[in-house]
Amino acid sequence: MMSAVSKTRRRSMQMNRFGPGAQALFHIVLGLFSLLCILPFIFVVIISFSSEDSIRAIGYSFHPLSWSLQAYEYTLRLGDQLWRSYFNSFLITLIGTVLSVAICVLYAYPLFRKDYRLRGFFNFLSFFTMIFGGGLVPTYVICKSVLGLSDNYAALIVPMLFSPFNVIVMRTFFQTTVPPDLIEAATIDGSGEYGTLPRIVLPVVTPGIATIALLNALGYWNEWFLSLLYINKNMSIIPLQYLLMRMQRNADFLAKNASMLGADASRAALELPSQTLKMALVVFIVVPIACAYPFFQRYVVAGLTVGSVKG
Amino acid sequence: MAFQKSLAHSASAQTGESRSEGLGSAKRKKAFWLTTMMLPGAIWLLLIRYLPMFGIVIAFKDYRAFRPNTFWNNIVKSEFVGLKNFEFLKSPDTLIMIRNTLGYNLLWIALGLVISVTFAIMMSEVSNQLLAKTYQTLMFFPYFLSWVVASYFVLAFLDPTSGMIPAMQKAAGLKVTNFYHDTTWWPLILTICNLWKNVGYSSMLYLSAITGIDTTQYEAAAVDGASKWQQIWYVTLPNIRTMMIILLIMNIGKIFNADFGLFYNVPQNSGSLYPVTQVVDTYVYRAYANTHNLGMSSAAGFLQSAVGLVCIVGANSIVRRIDPDSSLF
Amino acid sequence: MKKILSIMLALAMALSLCSFSQAADLPVITILFHGSNVSDDTAVLERVNEYIADKVGAKLEVVWGTWGDFDDKATNALTTADSDIDMVFTCSWSADEYNSFAKKGYFVKLDDLIEEYGADLKAAIPESLMQAATIEGAEGKGIYAVNGFKDTATQNTWDVNVTLLSELGYTLEDVKNLGFYGFGEIFAKAKELKGDSFYPFLVEPMVAERMVTNSIIIAGDAGSVNLLSLYLNPDDVSAEGAYGNTILNKFATPEYAAFVEKMHEYYEAGYINPALAVAETSNDTRTNAQLTGDYLIGTQSYAYGYEYAADVLSRGIEVAFVPCTDAYVDTTASQGAMVAINSASNHVEESFKFLALLNSDPTLMTLLNYGVEGIHYTLDEDGLVVFDETARSTYSPWTNGMGNVTILPDTQSEGKGFREAFKAYYAGAKAIPALGYVFDNSEVANQMAALSNVAAQYALALDCGAIDPATELPKFLEALDAAGMQAYLDAANAQLDNYLSK
Repeated sequence: MMSAVSKTRRRSMQMNRFGPGAQALFHIVLGLFSLLCILPFIFVVIISFSSEDSIRAIGYSFHPLSWSLQAYEYTLRLGDQLWRSYFNSFLITLIGTVLSVAICVLYAYPLFRKDYRLRGFFNFLSFFTMIFGGGLVPTYVICKSVLGLSDNYAALIVPMLFSPFNVIVMRTFFQTTVPPDLIEAATIDGSGEYGTLPRIVLPVVTPGIATIALLNALGYWNEWFLSLLYINKNMSIIPLQYLLMRMQRNADFLAKNASMLGADASRAALELPSQTLKMALVVFIVVPIACAYPFFQRYVVAGLTVGSVKG
Repeated sequence: MAFQKSLAHSASAQTGESRSEGLGSAKRKKAFWLTTMMLPGAIWLLLIRYLPMFGIVIAFKDYRAFRPNTFWNNIVKSEFVGLKNFEFLKSPDTLIMIRNTLGYNLLWIALGLVISVTFAIMMSEVSNQLLAKTYQTLMFFPYFLSWVVASYFVLAFLDPTSGMIPAMQKAAGLKVTNFYHDTTWWPLILTICNLWKNVGYSSMLYLSAITGIDTTQYEAAAVDGASKWQQIWYVTLPNIRTMMIILLIMNIGKIFNADFGLFYNVPQNSGSLYPVTQVVDTYVYRAYANTHNLGMSSAAGFLQSAVGLVCIVGANSIVRRIDPDSSLF
Repeated sequence: MKKILSIMLALAMALSLCSFSQAADLPVITILFHGSNVSDDTAVLERVNEYIADKVGAKLEVVWGTWGDFDDKATNALTTADSDIDMVFTCSWSADEYNSFAKKGYFVKLDDLIEEYGADLKAAIPESLMQAATIEGAEGKGIYAVNGFKDTATQNTWDVNVTLLSELGYTLEDVKNLGFYGFGEIFAKAKELKGDSFYPFLVEPMVAERMVTNSIIIAGDAGSVNLLSLYLNPDDVSAEGAYGNTILNKFATPEYAAFVEKMHEYYEAGYINPALAVAETSNDTRTNAQLTGDYLIGTQSYAYGYEYAADVLSRGIEVAFVPCTDAYVDTTASQGAMVAINSASNHVEESFKFLALLNSDPTLMTLLNYGVEGIHYTLDEDGLVVFDETARSTYSPWTNGMGNVTILPDTQSEGKGFREAFKAYYAGAKAIPALGYVFDNSEVANQMAALSNVAAQYALALDCGAIDPATELPKFLEALDAAGMQAYLDAANAQLDNYLSK
């Protein structure tokens, strides 16, 4: 039924479009910018397939002197560690996203309700932490010694469960897409708060939820600093992003301290993974989340149909 | 629809009157259930954000270890030094880094807002759904790449020996620009990099706000004979105004913070470029790398927060006066 | 779905808590190392724990810090008073800098423990290293870390591509005689032979500056770009240099002006790769060119036996290291790698016993460094260590960061008798007059913050010759003055006078 509605809606929308001239302009502008956005990633892919010799000789280039699969062979030889980190990344992202979206929606919903008297207080409670924080060191102490976040998956999930920014974005979605009458009507129908939210409100804000879910998923997928802080001994739970960042930071460190480490630095430089390997890992990291993107996007676009039901 | 609305209103008014005696308890019950919804988030905030805030005092202390060496004991016993940790601001570089931080932020907030809203509207208006989705996906890619990776990309263009632009200059017989020692182009390069990375992200926020707009509003406007441009002006923009204002206020709150990787990695940490790349975050980082002074970095963080709070409260109170619905709090 | 996930999360938390409470009878002591590349330590730790159970009375766990994450992990553990980390690597150049962290009370003073349990340790570590570790800390003058016995003297050398040099018709003698200011003619010929995209002079700019001007690093000075310097007497490193025992702003000396002028000439002539003059590209570029032998003369901080190191042998050219001065013992080198005990630790005594054993017992040191015989390495007929490359790739700690490397067996690539020669080489190294002096920068920390930013802006580009010293050097010096150079310098000199008078 939904799809039928959406089809008619789309048709009526299409009658109401910009002319071909404006459309062409949009395509040129958006197309060029999109190209600019994807180009660096293509560049990364090319580097990951370049041979080390080529990079030594001419640096990073769109036209390497010779190609090589070496980086990927080496990546696969990371074997266990690679797949385990991959699994960890997925697990952390999945659990983290589900929990944080739930917490975010539950927190943002009452904030949007004008008839909720404590909204000012809770709004400020959340907002204030966006600006002020205790800093890295005290937060670490609390997380580790009070909450026991150390060398476990929880340490990689809990510190990011809540984002004041996302709460505000979610609240804005509620404000712009949910008409207050809808809730009043539901209340009159005798629906409790825990019934109204999932049955009446959530279907309307699907684009918002998809957006928040995407932001959270990205946050978890890209996170590596928590691993650095909280994972000391249990290296089997580190995510892929940390594997990459560790390589990156090793190289940075050696660069900065070369003159202090002397001969040791040169020797250590030998053990460093090559640039091509780093780029191969970037490919490994980007591809899954890029593939997941259209999934979120479907819900964002599905908002069009929801909008029509509402009318 | 207007009719429906008024109907709903009168209905609620009626029930309100008829059940006036049960209203208080119903309200309290509603408030109770709504409060329980906030609990998971509120508990998290108290534990992970508010509890560690005692650490703010480190910014005003000469933190060191005492016996017995526990974190709490160290904080209590450390000497109170007033504003000494803030004296890093006395440096002659201070004006440059403040100018850069505020200048880039203001420019980018304005540019980012205009461009991402424009892009979001364009994407919502493109009739070819497949292409629209493709643009949207591609624009998101920069968000996945770290600044370190992006800096390699910039390097491929600018590298003095093998970069594409110097190579072209050489081929054309022009004087080769040594980009990493020449400040001229960097405000532009940094601006492009910033937009490249963030426009996809914020235009997605706007696009999903646009898709949430009730389409009957467009139909009503079309019936009234509004052109497409007028529809955008009178329907789309007012509907995403709240989102625009909220994001604007939040960006203003971060006006004293800079994206570290953009200013550090993309210019390859080249010293000659500091006059146009030095921002508060890089300055503090470079100072911290040498002094490892916990007090100073806490002080810098505190300062950024304080400036952010002042700006955000200021911006919010202006918004509240003009458009109370869009204000942050 | 949500429920399943939250159950999984709870399970993960519970499991991890269990693994902590599974304590054996012995207390666990944990050590945080630097620069390791270890992904599988089970076999090693199993044997280590068997070995130390009686001797130390504790069970060892290791946090294998890597180059990139050690600084964060160490400062985090120490400033948060994390009792889960008992021992931590420290030195004069890491983030948990030995002198300042000892002064701030993060490390346990070891003197009493050395008296009680340290007889073997004292026998294994030269007296001079014990002295180098003796500093003014939070609990008074004393030793706050166990100083590892490694390459304890500094020596900077020209790293020469002999293959190319002889092709050009020069000898190592010529390199010595011509010196830095005379390299131009060799570079010109090399450039002629190898073409425009060849850069003969492969410098680490800061090291080149020290080599040419005879300046030395002051411990406690800004780490990334040194501002201060004492000057070495190149003919006799134990004698006072041209400026006596006075610390100078190294950028304001005539030696520095001459050096950067020459570098600018070399840079303009195309002898130096421009990528070396940009902080983030400098090291990658240099390492790459060095490892492929794509240079004529480079710089290298030298350690004894470096000629035989794998990275030198694999360059595909003949390499020689031409020293500028004798090896000299300065504070930086003599505090190059140490291990301290966290004052928040609950197992100070066991930790010290472990460190004493690690630095004096070849079995333990070898086990922890080279791994398990038969798994990570085998011994050849001469008793030399031959590594198993595959096993070693999952277990290669940073040897110099661990402790006394002189009690390790020789490896096959080093050859028999290497350790003896190594010890003799560093035993013979002379100390500079101001050995042991460390600048305590805490009183001028704010000046240092500003100065290090100014220096980062100019120093690398000037040292590399990328900018014109005629216009930029005066600007640099002016900016340093404005940032408080004089106060910084005065503080350093006052402390030095005080130190030398004691």
